Amino acid sequence: MKLNIDGLLVYFPYDYIYPEQYSYMLELKRTLDAKGHGVLEMPSGTGKTISLLSLIVAYQRAFPLEVTKLIYCSRTVPEIEKVVEELRKLMEFYAKETEEVNNFLALALSSRKNLCIHPEVSSLRFGKEVDGKCHSLTASYVRAQRHGNPNQPVCRFYEEFDAVGRQVPLPAGVYNLDDLKDLGRRKGWCPYYLARYSILHANIVVYSYHYLLDPKIADLVSKELAKKSVVVFDEAHNIDNVCIDSMSVNITRRTLDRCQNNVDTLQNTIQRIKETDAAKLREEYRRLVEGLKEANVARETDVYLANPVLPDEILKEAVPGSIRTAEHFVGFLRRFLEYLKSRLRVQHVVQESAPQFLKDIFDKVCIDRKPLRFCAERLQSLLRTLEITDISDFSAVTLISNFATLVSTYSQGFTIIIEPFEDRTPTIANPVLHFSCMDPSIAIKPVFQRFQSVIITSGTLSPVDIYPRILDFRPVTMASFTMTLARTCLCPLIVGRGNDQVALSSKFETREDFAVIRNYGNLLLEMSAVVPDGIVAFFTSYVYMENIVASWYEQGILENIQRNKLIFIETQDAAETSMALEKYQEACENGRGAILLSVARGKVSEGIDFVHHFGRAVIMFGVPYVYTQSRILKARLEYLRDQFQIRENDFLTFDAMRHAAQCVGRAIRGKTDYGLMIFADKRYARADKRGKLPRWIQEHINDGSLNLTVDEAVQLSKHFLRQMAQPFSQVDQLGLSLLTLEQLESPEMLKKIAQIAHQT
Amino acid sequence: MDEEPERAKRWEGGYERTWEVLKEDESGSLTATVEEILYQSKKRRVIKSHEQVRLGMMRHLYFVIDCSRSMDDQDLKPNRLTSTLKLMETFVDEYFDQNPISQVGIIITKNKRAEKLTELSGNPKKHIDALKKAVDTPCVGEPSLYNALSLALNNLKHMPGHTSREILIILSSLTTCDPANIYELITTLKSLKVRVSVIGLSAEVRVCTVLTRETGGSYHVILDESHFKELLMLHVKPPPASSSSECSLIRMGFPQHTVASLSDQDAKPSFSMSHLDSSSGAGLSLGGYFCPQCHAKYTELPVECKVCGLTLVSAPHLARSFHHLFPLQAFLESPTEKLLKNRCFPVPPVIMCFVWTVISSSTIRCTAAPAVFKVGGLHEAELDHNRHRIFIAVLLVFSLLAFSRPGLEE
Repeated sequence: MKLNIDGLLVYFPYDYIYPEQYSYMLELKRTLDAKGHGVLEMPSGTGKTISLLSLIVAYQRAFPLEVTKLIYCSRTVPEIEKVVEELRKLMEFYAKETEEVNNFLALALSSRKNLCIHPEVSSLRFGKEVDGKCHSLTASYVRAQRHGNPNQPVCRFYEEFDAVGRQVPLPAGVYNLDDLKDLGRRKGWCPYYLARYSILHANIVVYSYHYLLDPKIADLVSKELAKKSVVVFDEAHNIDNVCIDSMSVNITRRTLDRCQNNVDTLQNTIQRIKETDAAKLREEYRRLVEGLKEANVARETDVYLANPVLPDEILKEAVPGSIRTAEHFVGFLRRFLEYLKSRLRVQHVVQESAPQFLKDIFDKVCIDRKPLRFCAERLQSLLRTLEITDISDFSAVTLISNFATLVSTYSQGFTIIIEPFEDRTPTIANPVLHFSCMDPSIAIKPVFQRFQSVIITSGTLSPVDIYPRILDFRPVTMASFTMTLARTCLCPLIVGRGNDQVALSSKFETREDFAVIRNYGNLLLEMSAVVPDGIVAFFTSYVYMENIVASWYEQGILENIQRNKLIFIETQDAAETSMALEKYQEACENGRGAILLSVARGKVSEGIDFVHHFGRAVIMFGVPYVYTQSRILKARLEYLRDQFQIRENDFLTFDAMRHAAQCVGRAIRGKTDYGLMIFADKRYARADKRGKLPRWIQEHINDGSLNLTVDEAVQLSKHFLRQMAQPFSQVDQLGLSLLTLEQLESPEMLKKIAQIAHQT
Repeated sequence: MDEEPERAKRWEGGYERTWEVLKEDESGSLTATVEEILYQSKKRRVIKSHEQVRLGMMRHLYFVIDCSRSMDDQDLKPNRLTSTLKLMETFVDEYFDQNPISQVGIIITKNKRAEKLTELSGNPKKHIDALKKAVDTPCVGEPSLYNALSLALNNLKHMPGHTSREILIILSSLTTCDPANIYELITTLKSLKVRVSVIGLSAEVRVCTVLTRETGGSYHVILDESHFKELLMLHVKPPPASSSSECSLIRMGFPQHTVASLSDQDAKPSFSMSHLDSSSGAGLSLGGYFCPQCHAKYTELPVECKVCGLTLVSAPHLARSFHHLFPLQAFLESPTEKLLKNRCFPVPPVIMCFVWTVISSSTIRCTAAPAVFKVGGLHEAELDHNRHRIFIAVLLVFSLLAFSRPGLEE
């Protein structure tokens, strides 16, 4: 189908289009025209990905000088693969319609673990091992040594790629991870480095968030990407947490011990080199005197994406003399390490700001702010000079030096919390130093500054106006789209009372209340009798789930439920959970029926879709607030209040509701799908909670379903499920929620479409 | 005769939200109701059903009735089991009325087992008796789809290839307790060309969707009692035969009913073959049908001769089965405006709006008799053909007399 979106010819690879897709594209076009950033919310299962891709590709073709590249960031490897498949479909459609060879290059990039084809390296199980092993085979000095010593093992794929791979650019086409690997095998090139090299001139790059947001990786991979790119963050409802995680550092005693070993190794290596090759160290010293001028020039000419770990100021200065020689630097590290060790020997919780920390360190061990700032750079330089092959062993010392740089660079937005033990085990000493980032905008700032348009999109971004505030940017478009439906296929119910009129709530005071637990059990039992196939139930935390399930067992509720359905439980163990999931799906498939008990914010609530019969109902027991006693959270809330004027309660509710929406949204993955969404807590009925649910869910909550008892909910569910079981075909959707080109172009439909986008 | 089954009483219908049904759909299209969709699909079905297809006229149908715990549920009154069995009785009657040369058997499943209630046979009385008795069975445990299907399959697979093999499951439970992988059984069913249809009493279950899709059956879930009946009656019509089913000529006997006149002194009362094995007495009678091949006597038709295995039917039976093959043409739909303009119609349009509620803005024209119906629901258009004829005749009379009968209310 060829569409005219506000004057732009868009090729859309399907015969039918959803009205909201059209509306979404209009909004997107406006954002691109304005060269600004956008926040767009559209329900899952309404074809967000293809709308994004077809519009941006069309835009790229129409204005090749305005937009040169699309950077599509997704979260997981399966999602990346899905995006590439959609893209392939789009490109095939282009080829068929225009009948000319287009020179679009699109590719996916993932970690070495997913791309490596070296027989030994790729068989390693963990990503870190693969990276380390790869580095030991491909580092420049390893390869240099090979000239003298032919027995030195190197990776032949990398050698081959390095020899010829860069001469010809990758031929145009769409490459997913497997395609890259196939190509790599055919040509004998390393697919990982091939992809990393090719993203520089590719038209579309699909990769994970971390390649842009994590400063360590972004520096390696993404720093040379063109400024005139459009960046899309899909499934971005958790983007602030990703940003925060990428900037935070946790230091335990184990880290420090390993770091100690690292420092010893460094010391020995320096000693050895000094005896054999003193010139090398002298050369390094000279380079450091010259300073990081080159890096500065590069940044000023705007070639690179800025790195938040490497702040602007230090680029203008040379590395301070106190850490310029290798021995001095190692000595400096030792002192720093000893200081950290002494700090971890606390008996009570300490919380302090970065300036306080700096003052303390100056008082105690006379370490100045300036050398600390250069710590990360200095260490990198040293590791390069010492030709250390296995970088992965040095992760501890790298972490510490990153910490040093961050703590001395940012006086705001970070906090240091030292806890002598974990909250759950207050008797076992396990000191941790949390250096936690409280301001997600630090990590994402370079992205907003560098790239022309950044689109943040997801199925659940409500309320949309909070994201610009916490990420500190100014969007040109903010819109929330609803789902047009030929039949109301979602049924949100708020169950506030048990049959005995006991108020249902997971709030702290009633958490242990026997009556609440019993009523929750009753709700699950009754639902298990009327809902077919799969039910997914979410609890607010693992501890809460364990308590409740134990209590249900004692009351015999579990036994009764098991007459209707099998019960599976998500645990913190990933292998166990994936096993449970597999069996759960099998039970749904063969008619036995199953219930999956899982935890909001857990693995199941984020990454796994429960299409059709795998999730006919989602029950949310309680409101999934974060653990509010955590000091890190408290610090963050305080920061949000002081800096962004977001009240604690607003943020907590926002955070709880986005997770609740994520959980219940798992059940509806398309317009032919249907599912019940049961919010089992009376607090959901309040306007402040309800108002923070995505618009497409809110629309279907009517006043009648606000404070139901278990019985009423069962009645409504029965009715809903029978209605939904009536035959429903594509023809029924046509003209309402599914449009052909003619229908789309009719004036009244265009008027309706205008109402779909909800501007804020 | 054509009385619409009354809907559940208001107070029985659970929480009903009448104001939602009345919702106007002027502004947005979001509120298109399920009823509308149902109506459309019904309409499509009616139009489609008039295509010329081969039908499996000799049917072998196994009912599977779920008697598990969930049948105690009282959302159908008085409970699901009683209501189902009641409807089944009417269905069996109707079924044999429309398919006189077909056979039926009944299986019930409960407590993870399946057992046969009646064997496959063409005698409606036996089934109806069994159904009446079954009202008192206690509903316990879970049903087993696998066991029920394999039991039915074991009986059906010996049936000759030219007959249709069907299973109709009335499933109330949302869970099934199976001893083995049901998907393997589904492939077997498919390869043996057994058509499985399911009527669900509570909600859509995945395994049934797959089962019916794979075997070419239909899957419906009831909304209420009247919808349940409607769905059951869909199965009265013979299904289209698969193109691969065998064609063969079948020997049939058409015995004459001979009544020995009382004046004939030689006539002696004799036993009917069909009564020999049943304990119910009074099998002695004077006249009856005599098998043209072996002269065994039967009191009623259709029957398969117990002695020589010949199918005995009477000509009207065959004719009744036959009419499925030559259905009447479908009603033509034409907008009212066009009709009002075009006055040269042979029969003046009969406005029957006060009889039927008008919810559609178009009228439907019967092709057999050029009368005009203003039809809302499709109950009228979907009348089965016997009634259809009578109905049209009645209507013709009325339209000619130019007054309508107020008592025709549904």
